[in-house]
Amino acid sequence: MSNQGWHEQLRRGALDLAILASVAPEPRYGLEIIRRLEDFTDLVVTEGTVYPILARLTHDGLLEARWTTGESSHPRKYYRLTAPGRRALDDMIGDWQVFTGKIDRLIDASGRSSHGTR
Amino acid sequence: MELGEAGKARVRGYLYVLERSLRSFLPRDVVADAVREIETHVADRVAAVEANPDERTALERILTELGPPLRVAQAYSAELTLDEAIATGRIGATARSLWHFAVNSVAGFFGAIGLFIGYTLGLAFLAIAALKPIFPQNVGFVMHDGWLTGVGAQIALRPGESIVGGYWIIPLCAAIGILMLVGSHRGARRFLGWFRDRRDQRLRTTSAAVQDGAVGRV
Repeated sequence: MSNQGWHEQLRRGALDLAILASVAPEPRYGLEIIRRLEDFTDLVVTEGTVYPILARLTHDGLLEARWTTGESSHPRKYYRLTAPGRRALDDMIGDWQVFTGKIDRLIDASGRSSHGTR
Repeated sequence: MELGEAGKARVRGYLYVLERSLRSFLPRDVVADAVREIETHVADRVAAVEANPDERTALERILTELGPPLRVAQAYSAELTLDEAIATGRIGATARSLWHFAVNSVAGFFGAIGLFIGYTLGLAFLAIAALKPIFPQNVGFVMHDGWLTGVGAQIALRPGESIVGGYWIIPLCAAIGILMLVGSHRGARRFLGWFRDRRDQRLRTTSAAVQDGAVGRV
């Protein structure tokens, strides 16, 4: 049986957390965020679908966006965490750690290693 | 890499399709901002590629990794309106999502037509219930020579026509109207949910293609 559907749900569920975590250290623009996600995760399937998520997180008040001309010849849209965004990220990280911790314990109890190779 | 005229035209074409598609469901200022951001993305990706004799292939890879403009527009729709419509059932979000699908797909067009008819009939029945106390002699079942020919308000009756139905049609039409509106709205949310599942299915296909190496990296 294919687990593509499950994998896709997992990916979609984790993307918000991953994007917020990507801009937590410092403001970043879209391509930087995508590069960071690609460096650390396999979450980016289609680059263009990250921008709508950034738009939603901005719309929800978790991110603040600003066009800035930095070292580039053209302006770039930089995203930074807002105070509600930082609180949401803290909550999501806490939830994620509790969730994965419990699932790891369950997997360990089932006799399968939760840190095995994939 | 610096794009030649053909490459610039290809990027302009991509952005044009994206803009036209986004305009069907997003405000103009949001569309302009989104298109500008995607344009910046493409410019940054192009600038990061070393001088390449095969500009066309390099640019197509960049645009492939970005995703087709309609897919990107659908993702905007999904993030900004679709999930909100399905989760909350808000009228505005539902209407924007339906409009987007109606103008972008055949199934969406016919589905939206059906739902539009359902909503309109629901409102029409409510209007009958509201008009009956105001025009008691002109609102009800329209009969022509003993045959039912319509329901509603008829100010000028033609020869052989008569209006049948007392005030009891008010609760009847109100109930039918509410049921049709609720039914249409539930149908709309289910319809949008079906579209979201279909989109996720396509995303999974893309994901599988990327994992299989069908889409390379520049």
